[in-house]
Amino acid sequence: MKPPPITKSKILDGILISNIISLIVVGLTKFSVDGLEGDRLGGGSGIFIFSSFIIVPLLMGFVCAWYWHSLEMKTSRYIGWSAVSSLIAVLASFIFLKEGFICLIIVSPLIFGFVVTGALVGRIILRRKNDTLNVSLFGVLLLVIVADTFSGHENVSMVSDTMIVNAPIEKVWPHVVEYKPIELKEDYWLFKIGMPSPIQSTVDGHEAGAGRKCIFSNGYVFDETMTVYKPNEELTFDIISQPHDPEIMGHIDILRGQFILKDNGDGTTTVIGNSWYKLYVFPGWYFNVWSESITRNVHLRVMDHIKLLSEGNV
Amino acid sequence: MFNFVVKYAAPLKHIPPLPHVFDALLKICALFTNKNLLDYLDDLEREVLLWKGTSVELHKYGGTQFNYRGKELGHIHGNGLLDLLFSRKAKAELIKNYGVKEHHIFKDSGWISFQIKTEADKNLAIELLKMSHRAKCETEVI
Repeated sequence: MKPPPITKSKILDGILISNIISLIVVGLTKFSVDGLEGDRLGGGSGIFIFSSFIIVPLLMGFVCAWYWHSLEMKTSRYIGWSAVSSLIAVLASFIFLKEGFICLIIVSPLIFGFVVTGALVGRIILRRKNDTLNVSLFGVLLLVIVADTFSGHENVSMVSDTMIVNAPIEKVWPHVVEYKPIELKEDYWLFKIGMPSPIQSTVDGHEAGAGRKCIFSNGYVFDETMTVYKPNEELTFDIISQPHDPEIMGHIDILRGQFILKDNGDGTTTVIGNSWYKLYVFPGWYFNVWSESITRNVHLRVMDHIKLLSEGNV
Repeated sequence: MFNFVVKYAAPLKHIPPLPHVFDALLKICALFTNKNLLDYLDDLEREVLLWKGTSVELHKYGGTQFNYRGKELGHIHGNGLLDLLFSRKAKAELIKNYGVKEHHIFKDSGWISFQIKTEADKNLAIELLKMSHRAKCETEVI
């Protein structure tokens, strides 16, 4: 049965107004946090605080419910229209906030989950026709956004991976320092759908202070400086510049990489790969899950390649 | 998933708005696994609101709470698990005659749990809620 025009109009009003509010709030918080912390964190490239992905979607869902609750819609329709509203928010982020495709895939489940929560919570609360309670709830959400905007935003994490290479340490070391192009097939789903993967590493010299480049599949280059160069033992490098890509800029800074080699005394070598990064997107617990997974798969792709080269299988 | 979270992540229920996020996730899952369940939950809510003195509100640990004159009759989670409060005597009778179970957490109480999956379950759930409502009304008269 075709919905009456008033129903359609209220559904669309909910989607439109909630998206306009979310764009304004996210824009304002980004602008404010940039002003407050930009010089210190990422040179003002934009920080997405906890509120952007939790409170704003909750607010969006609540605003939708504000328009929809008088329609007596089924729960399944609430979820369906919330999905449409989330999709529009994601598209708006792509167009107005210049977000990257992979980033949007990563944030979509979070946005969808919280928009649905906001809409379903709003559906029950707004039944009570208690305007004081409803306005208070809006007030509390806005207060959390303001408090979050003016709080500190630091989140440095480290990912570590270990691999046994069936070759002596002196055969492994040269491939840790620099390696020829990786020809292994991509097996990580984000690499398969277009996220750049590491392809080659080159160095300017073989000593601490020399430059190193990590080249990715789309041609992007991370410029690095080797800070520790202990042959057959440790290579540590700081990332001095990273590509200006919307998937990376303002979201994550890769700070440092490290390879530690240990002779197992039986002709095999343990290779430990460590990476440190700083996140500019919050909530950290959610984005850390993704960052860890991506960093781990970058590690494993490089370490698998080093293993093949060292064992003479390439 | 519900039992796993209730067993191992119980302290998280005190952090707002996590219980409501979890309940929304249960409803999203239901949309893909048993779409009719969401309609049964809506029917149940609509039916209860027709009775004298009833209202609904958010349950503090996620789900929809049914009240009679502001006091809880029971609540239903997004996966269709209905929790109702009866006297211990009534609970024993219900377990014997209606196939309901002890509450999924509070075993030693008058609380019962009933899982809704089918339309027949929904009808029985309405019956159980009616019993609880009737009991509350009678208590009020006394």
